[in-house]
Amino acid sequence: MNEMLKGNRRQFIVSALAAGGAMVVGPRLALANSEAQVWDKDVAPANGAAEFTPWLTINPDDTVIVRVAAVDIGNGTLTQACSFVMEELGSKWENLIPEYADPNADYKNGGVYSKPGSLLAYFSGRSTNPDRASTYMLAAATAREQLKAAAAQAWGVPANEIVAKDSTLSHQASGKSARFGEMIAAAAQVKLDGDPKLKDPSEWTWLTKQSPGKVQIPKIVNGSAIYGMDVRLPDMVYAALRQSPVHGGKLVSYDADAIKNMPGVLKVVAVKPKANEPTDLKPPFPFGVNPAQEAVAVIAEHYWQARTALDALPVVWDDGPGAQWTSTAKMNQAAFDAVSKPGEKVELSQGTVDDAAWKAATKVVEGTYLTPFCEQAPMEPLNGTALVTKDRVDLWHPSAHTQEAFYVAADEAGVDPKNVYVHQPYVGGSFGRRVFGDDSRMVVAIAKQFPGRPVHVIWSREEATRQGRYRPLMAGYLKAGLGADGMPTVVEGRMSGGPGFYATGMADTAFTLVTPNAQVTSQIVPFHILQGPYRGPGYNSNAFFVETFVDELAHAAGMDPMDYRIKLYSKWADKGWVKTLTEVRDKSGWGKDTLPKGQGRGVAVANWGMGGKPDEGTTVATVAKVEVTKAGDLKILQLDVAFDTGKVFNEDAVRAEMEGGTLFGLNMSLNEGLNINNGQIVEGNFDQYPIIRMADTPANVNVHFGGLTGNARYNEVGEPPAGVIGPAVGNAIFAAIGKRIRQTPFRTQDLTWS
Amino acid sequence: MSVSLTINGKPVEIDADPSTPMLWVLRDYLGMTGTKFGCGIAQCGACTIHLDGQPTRSCQLPLEAAHGANITTIEGLSPDSSHPLQKVWIEANVPQCGYCQSGMLMAAAALLKEIPNPTDADIDQYISNICRCGTYTRVRAAIHKAAEMMQA
Repeated sequence: MNEMLKGNRRQFIVSALAAGGAMVVGPRLALANSEAQVWDKDVAPANGAAEFTPWLTINPDDTVIVRVAAVDIGNGTLTQACSFVMEELGSKWENLIPEYADPNADYKNGGVYSKPGSLLAYFSGRSTNPDRASTYMLAAATAREQLKAAAAQAWGVPANEIVAKDSTLSHQASGKSARFGEMIAAAAQVKLDGDPKLKDPSEWTWLTKQSPGKVQIPKIVNGSAIYGMDVRLPDMVYAALRQSPVHGGKLVSYDADAIKNMPGVLKVVAVKPKANEPTDLKPPFPFGVNPAQEAVAVIAEHYWQARTALDALPVVWDDGPGAQWTSTAKMNQAAFDAVSKPGEKVELSQGTVDDAAWKAATKVVEGTYLTPFCEQAPMEPLNGTALVTKDRVDLWHPSAHTQEAFYVAADEAGVDPKNVYVHQPYVGGSFGRRVFGDDSRMVVAIAKQFPGRPVHVIWSREEATRQGRYRPLMAGYLKAGLGADGMPTVVEGRMSGGPGFYATGMADTAFTLVTPNAQVTSQIVPFHILQGPYRGPGYNSNAFFVETFVDELAHAAGMDPMDYRIKLYSKWADKGWVKTLTEVRDKSGWGKDTLPKGQGRGVAVANWGMGGKPDEGTTVATVAKVEVTKAGDLKILQLDVAFDTGKVFNEDAVRAEMEGGTLFGLNMSLNEGLNINNGQIVEGNFDQYPIIRMADTPANVNVHFGGLTGNARYNEVGEPPAGVIGPAVGNAIFAAIGKRIRQTPFRTQDLTWS
Repeated sequence: MSVSLTINGKPVEIDADPSTPMLWVLRDYLGMTGTKFGCGIAQCGACTIHLDGQPTRSCQLPLEAAHGANITTIEGLSPDSSHPLQKVWIEANVPQCGYCQSGMLMAAAALLKEIPNPTDADIDQYISNICRCGTYTRVRAAIHKAAEMMQA
């Protein structure tokens, strides 16, 4: 077993011939019965052997159904699952057909799909998780060996002389060959002596070698891919909703009579948060992350009718305590105040941070930073469809965590999970927004009041934007003392944000960990605005704080910011930091020319996922070259990105995520920031919450692969690039015009110069 | 009240409130879900269709304004995904989540009809659709590639 797969729980593979002549293969988690069972998700198998669940189904026509738990939100989880199977099975690529693994079947079969990957098994990422990789490869290798054994028996030749390739079994000496589909009946009866040996990575011909594009793209380009928004069911009705404009506010009253005669209107319903009763359900994330907000919804025959009627519906709200936050400035000030002294929670304490440590420093530098609330704004507005009856729920939901949606649906409807079915369509982006399932809860909370007909609930863009679960508003404070060599000897870090904000990225990152004396604290500020994950939670703010601050240290030390970082991060045990910096230095043209005033390059490096440990997570270093006009207009001239995921399975898939994650982080830093007025979110649509477009984007995002260390991991790529582009641009602005930018979005900062 | 128009070459009669946006006529009344709802205020371009050949954001096009018109949607861009843009989109792994891409493709197809060999500046000017996944660099490269294919 190769290094990547070491340490995995041993899995037993069993197979059987299913109804319709298909061969099914999957790991068996508990051997309650030694006989392989035909697996049928709708019929509980006898003899307590319900644990058997297939990951692969081989059909008589050679097509192979590959079951995938991880939702594909555009990051290629479906394609990656097929790639693992491709490596070991010997199928034709086009014969591999991914289908989502049903969470209901998972629930009834001992959690078979949710074990590899654990709480994040059904999450829309981590497609290269080693548990997932080994599960698919072992299932595929087992199927291949069974097929070979069946052919060997049929042809009277040794199995090890048979080759499985292009969905065909062949024996050169005898000239015999057969399609997979012709051998599945016999292969399903084969019992192997133990698990087959997986290929050593040096023998791989597909993984790390081929870069298949996402398998769903042919459906995307002709409009036939069905997203959550596109679900159409017989007798379906539509709902438009409005939640309390101030988060946490209460619905006082509404006048349903005023709109009851409008065309198509069927019903007006109110949503109240479900009482927080004890439950024996065990969702991946506790239900505390996804309560419903008070809301009113209009149900009508068509969406436009529902929307029009909702706009005409008189509604009275009680804003509640959130209204005390009268302005953005007031909230910013509260966040700044919270970092004006050490926070209540200690995130890191190493060495001794005391007067002596500060006095020993040759220079002391400090900076205070702020990042605002940001909305994930996936292009598909929040929506979902539910059909609720007395004892069953069907939910068609563009979720980014199907299993969470499954438990939320069961909880909200009060239906036994055995009778809850979640149908996962394509998802038009998530960036963290669709993970926790508050949207699934709202859909079920509305649909259960109109039982017997599928209700498709659609958030308007304005509703989705103002009723977000945002990237938290965070303030940061950093203070460092430098030694004679310019390197920090002591650092104090503080951060603040609303309840539940994410601390990742300040205490558990290389900068603080290589500083001999370091203290990091955090402080909660009682904001009412709802928060949630947003591409690299915590990290996307803290990388801006830390890497802007490191740039300020370089300036104070009188060193080139690139040289300074290379010297600083060479103290860290993970070689990926210096390697990505060196790569991006060499490829970006850093230090090779003299730029005119108004132009500059900036660099930043950070790691998402390391959790304070070397050789974990993904490190990204980015160099931005910018131009700032005297009037303060900022243009991005060039972007160079180097990264260290350890190794890479699919080069183009990684490149695409590095490009997209960089542009996402660029927009976050240039443009994004929600404002608050009397407790309400001000911005509603893209006219107020701008997103970069083609004309704002540099012609290329140059992604370089020379930062890879070859460490034995294939780490994730979606979130890491989003954290470093902002500080890289901010540092480039400083290089260009000498103004230090400590707050995002940059478009609201004064960048004029003369 | 019924409105007559042609969609992807087929005559269609629609019985809906004449102020209903064409986007929702296509999606709800006709079940043609390839045209996407993204913002509702003609900002993002996910709902782009061709109205008598012109790229048009269907969320701001009332049904009554399309009486007698000839509309093409993503479903009608080609009968078999053979438009050069569709081929290049697949080959170059352009989409990520893909939700904005039918609008992106319709905008790009209209551009290539008007300017068969567009410059980067032309692309900047004509393609103002929003892609939250950040596929812009690939969209740009793919438009250039498709333009080459169409001229070969």
